[in-house]
Amino acid sequence: MIEAPSTLPAAGARLPRGETLRRGLAANPLLVAGGLMSALILVVALLAPLLAPFPADAGTATHPFLVLHPPSAQHWFGTDNVGRDIYSRVLYGARISPLIAVVVLVLACAIGVPLGVAAGYFGGWLDEAIMRVTDIFLAFPSLLLALALAEVLPPSLITLTIAIAVTWWPWYTRLIRGQAASVAGRPYIESCRALGIPRRRIIFRHILPNSITPLIVQVSLDVGGVILTASALSFLGLGAQEPTPDWGLMVSDGQNYFLTAWWVVTFPGIAILVTAFAFTLLGDGLRDLLDPKRIFLR
Amino acid sequence: MKPHRAGLLLASGTALALLLAACGGSSGSSPTASSQPAASNQVFTYVTSSEVMVDGWDPATEDSDGIIAMSNIYETLTHYNSTTHTVSPLLATSWSKSADGLTWTFHLRQGVHFHTGRLMTAQAAKAAILRTKQLGQAAAYVWDAVKTISTPNQSTLVFHLSYPSPIDLEASADYSAYIYDTQAAGPTASNSALVKWFNAPHDAGTGPYQVQTWNKGQEFEVILKAYPGYWGGWSGPHYKKVVFRVVTQDSTAAQLLRSGQATFVEQVSPSVWKSFQGESGLRTVTSPSWQNLLAQLNAKTLSLPVRQAISYGINYPGIIAALQGAAVPSSGLVPPGLFGHFSNLPNYNYNPAKAAQLLKQAGYGPGGKKLNLTLTYAQGDSNEQVVATLLKSSLAKLNINLTTQSLAWPTQWAKAKSANAANRQSIFLEYWWPDYADPYSWFNNLLETQKPPYFNLSYYSNPALDKQIGQVESLVATNRAASSQLYRKMQMEVIQQAPIAPLYNVNYQYGMRDSFTGFQVNPAYPEVVFVHNLTPTG
Amino acid sequence: MTVYVARRVALAVGVVAGVIVLTFVIAHVVPGDPAATWAGPHPTAAQVAAARRYLGLDRPAIVQLLSYFGGILSGNWGVSIHTHRPVLSDLAAAAPASLELVTVAMLIALVVAVPLGLISARWPGRVGDHTIRAGSILGVSMPIFWMALILQLFFSQRLHVLPAAGEYSPGLLFSHPLTRLTGFGLIDAPLTGNWPMFGSILTHLVLPAVVIAAYPAGLLTRMIRAQVLDTVGDAHVQMVRALGFPERAVFARFAMKLAWNPVAAAIALVFGYSLVNTFLVEAIFDWPGLGSYATTAIANLDRPAILGVTLFIALVYVVVNLVVDIIQAAIDPRIRLR
Repeated sequence: MIEAPSTLPAAGARLPRGETLRRGLAANPLLVAGGLMSALILVVALLAPLLAPFPADAGTATHPFLVLHPPSAQHWFGTDNVGRDIYSRVLYGARISPLIAVVVLVLACAIGVPLGVAAGYFGGWLDEAIMRVTDIFLAFPSLLLALALAEVLPPSLITLTIAIAVTWWPWYTRLIRGQAASVAGRPYIESCRALGIPRRRIIFRHILPNSITPLIVQVSLDVGGVILTASALSFLGLGAQEPTPDWGLMVSDGQNYFLTAWWVVTFPGIAILVTAFAFTLLGDGLRDLLDPKRIFLR
Repeated sequence: MKPHRAGLLLASGTALALLLAACGGSSGSSPTASSQPAASNQVFTYVTSSEVMVDGWDPATEDSDGIIAMSNIYETLTHYNSTTHTVSPLLATSWSKSADGLTWTFHLRQGVHFHTGRLMTAQAAKAAILRTKQLGQAAAYVWDAVKTISTPNQSTLVFHLSYPSPIDLEASADYSAYIYDTQAAGPTASNSALVKWFNAPHDAGTGPYQVQTWNKGQEFEVILKAYPGYWGGWSGPHYKKVVFRVVTQDSTAAQLLRSGQATFVEQVSPSVWKSFQGESGLRTVTSPSWQNLLAQLNAKTLSLPVRQAISYGINYPGIIAALQGAAVPSSGLVPPGLFGHFSNLPNYNYNPAKAAQLLKQAGYGPGGKKLNLTLTYAQGDSNEQVVATLLKSSLAKLNINLTTQSLAWPTQWAKAKSANAANRQSIFLEYWWPDYADPYSWFNNLLETQKPPYFNLSYYSNPALDKQIGQVESLVATNRAASSQLYRKMQMEVIQQAPIAPLYNVNYQYGMRDSFTGFQVNPAYPEVVFVHNLTPTG
Repeated sequence: MTVYVARRVALAVGVVAGVIVLTFVIAHVVPGDPAATWAGPHPTAAQVAAARRYLGLDRPAIVQLLSYFGGILSGNWGVSIHTHRPVLSDLAAAAPASLELVTVAMLIALVVAVPLGLISARWPGRVGDHTIRAGSILGVSMPIFWMALILQLFFSQRLHVLPAAGEYSPGLLFSHPLTRLTGFGLIDAPLTGNWPMFGSILTHLVLPAVVIAAYPAGLLTRMIRAQVLDTVGDAHVQMVRALGFPERAVFARFAMKLAWNPVAAAIALVFGYSLVNTFLVEAIFDWPGLGSYATTAIANLDRPAILGVTLFIALVYVVVNLVVDIIQAAIDPRIRLR
């Protein structure tokens, strides 16, 4: 017999809320692990100025007489090609990636959700028009459109954020539209309309709340993806610029010294990997918890 | 069994690779250093980091890295020997000048043929020089003193000058001095037809190699093959093919060298170069050069106190330390080894206090207005990137916000020459080296008033200096000591006016395989390897 | 069925048109002067103006859009500012190497993902499942430019088992030159009997392909696991089980077949994603494909080239999605009736 993957109680049973949550967590070691790791990363990001032994190295400070020193007691991750402490820079880098992810996803939702609601609720030609535009944006694999945009604009973290947000919104439009359309078709919504309840109220009190859960799941899964995309664009030189301690930029700068100074590339890369891993793990766990039927797959 | 995904991936990947390496091993695809198949003795692979090595194949107008290839295809009348510091014969076997220095007579080597098949005669050489002079690009100025050229017979070339000038030295220049067949595209072909012929690609040189393939913008950018009819002959072991391969990553270049897929690596970061030392199969060579790295400060947008402040605000010892042996301190504009170099000039040192004081005069500096500047440098050069970052850092302490931009060389140059002055940079970082064994190149190219700008990318204009530049070359031919003093005076003026901040002199650090002998660094021909002079030992 | 195909194709055509317009908009959003870069070493004002005329930048935007559109359709994709060659011919030269690389990477990914996904779904909640899930999340979280460098360091420099870079050993350029018939090295070499070249290309392909396979392998493992878990609970699968089919057959023959649909869509998606990932990997391995072309174009601010690559990949992606959709509809009748 196949074991059911979740130990959540069957529909209809009533348990104290904490108990449901506790059981959910116990069945989801990945969620717990992801949650802890993500929390740790955020704490590190917040406390970077306190934790970093050489905070100025995350800015314009350089130490030309200490270039390319291997990891030592003084510099845990070694120094880079202009003598900066890599450990400090990696710590400060933790502030950049999650922040970019948050801003990108907020922007993407701000654009995508209203469009999705409009398309799903109103249907008709508005739906068609919005869906066709969405299709066109989705015809570009994610990194590509962001790259093309980032290339034509002057390179900076702001450009990067805008470029990725422009690439990301169509997914949410499609997601919300599906949800909104299915909810809008239900009989009780018809009754609401017949009763003369204003559209805005219907949308905010009925459509949106029902669409939120899959949106949260998708957003949490996307954090890792945004972090990877942002670091890839910075690696290509289209995002963060010197001296920003962006992890992707650090890997890019270190390429030339890699053979003799493996630490310049290794630690920032591990940081990207661990961060993307943590948030994706968290997203996966959240999906298991909130949406065991796994309707929303990407 | 624990199906760990990553482990499975690596294991299967390795197994597959080992299997295939075994299959393809005998044909030289095995990367281990010891197994060098005999065929590759014949191929010299030169790895360069410059993105576009060759922009065009016209020997009269080549002005950049293309000489790395062209110096194996084309030859000059004379050749500068950096060990003896003298000019030695190449296409010319002997020469003499008149007492007043206005007439130079060159006797040409007999029996030399162009790759097009025609014999190299005095008339052909004259046509080449006149065409180069007339096109007026790159270093065509080396022929400026030439009024007319006469050819009393097939192997004698006589230069009649309008003022004395060291023609023997100028004829050895690494730019604009090649002797080529101007009738390569036909006796009545127009200039554009000839240029098109060159870019096909074809070549019309006299040298040991010919162009076989040109893949512009691609990795195996240029391939040369031996020219069997070379006057220098092919007795003994020689490389029969030369491949120029563009690899921008140091780490990739190093791995290619170690695996034997590359024979010579032009530039890698100092730490990677150090790692070559002592490795079996490899050889490292270090040598002083006539190249320096210059920061050209925009004289139109940066006032004198600001330029001087920037010159004091550069951490020269820090830059040299960070470059781990690739750089040595400079004194003035002229590198050591050339006449006109003086080690006792009042050079700028790293003095942030003085810099701050000067900036204060202009209202900038710590506590004053923030100054926003832009700096451009060539992509693919890790040393320039380090310098740019260090500059940004030391200038930040002076409340100067320096934005650094790395661009491919043609783009960096085009931007500096923009018709729209607002588009131009504040600081232009570039290497400079002389066109021939003389300091003149730094002055007439970088400092003489130019409208529109060509290489004077500080946009500097100083009529008094212009006058001195006009005088100095005649002095070189007639009164060497006086010319030296004039060069000293000019460098003092340049230091005072600070349109250019010399950052350091380049120390060549070359990595190569030890499968050949005969390699000599010649600063007069930077980065050039004269492959015909090498003897592969296998 | 034909109605469905016609509808899908019409939709795809519309999307393609939209993609071309969007690419054009991106190209013209920004200030900057491609004419000056084009004009080369001596841009006098007259030469820049001439370059502008030559590049067509002096006409009104709508005219430029229409001419751009017409140009794309007739094969004129502009001229690269860097190589001074038509972008389309540059792309045609570079595309086969990338398609080769991505195809091999996808094969590796499938070989890894299908068994692991099935194993994971077969025994969910156990240690094996958790390990595979963690491993697949590792795959999708991997910064591949970093992975490329690390693998290059280990396998090439430290262990000396695989070549560092390039498409094949440069010695073979002279001893066994490859005659290009289709442009795909892995096809041309065997076709011309050039086995040393074939072996060399394969060894050079291994590292970049493994790097690019990481993301698809991770994603597809997750997908297959999720899809199979979904379908095994379904009524018809329970029926099959009730009929007495062994668990192994329930999985392999029935559940997997039903799971195929969304997985096929995912394959199309990661194919496009991987094609773009070549930008991050090819330069490191000197693999002469679209990725190297794009990174060079980015470095040189070669806008026509970048837009050409963008457009090209988007078109490939649309076509791949179209093909997958039609195949899915052919296999699963429910789709075309939707």
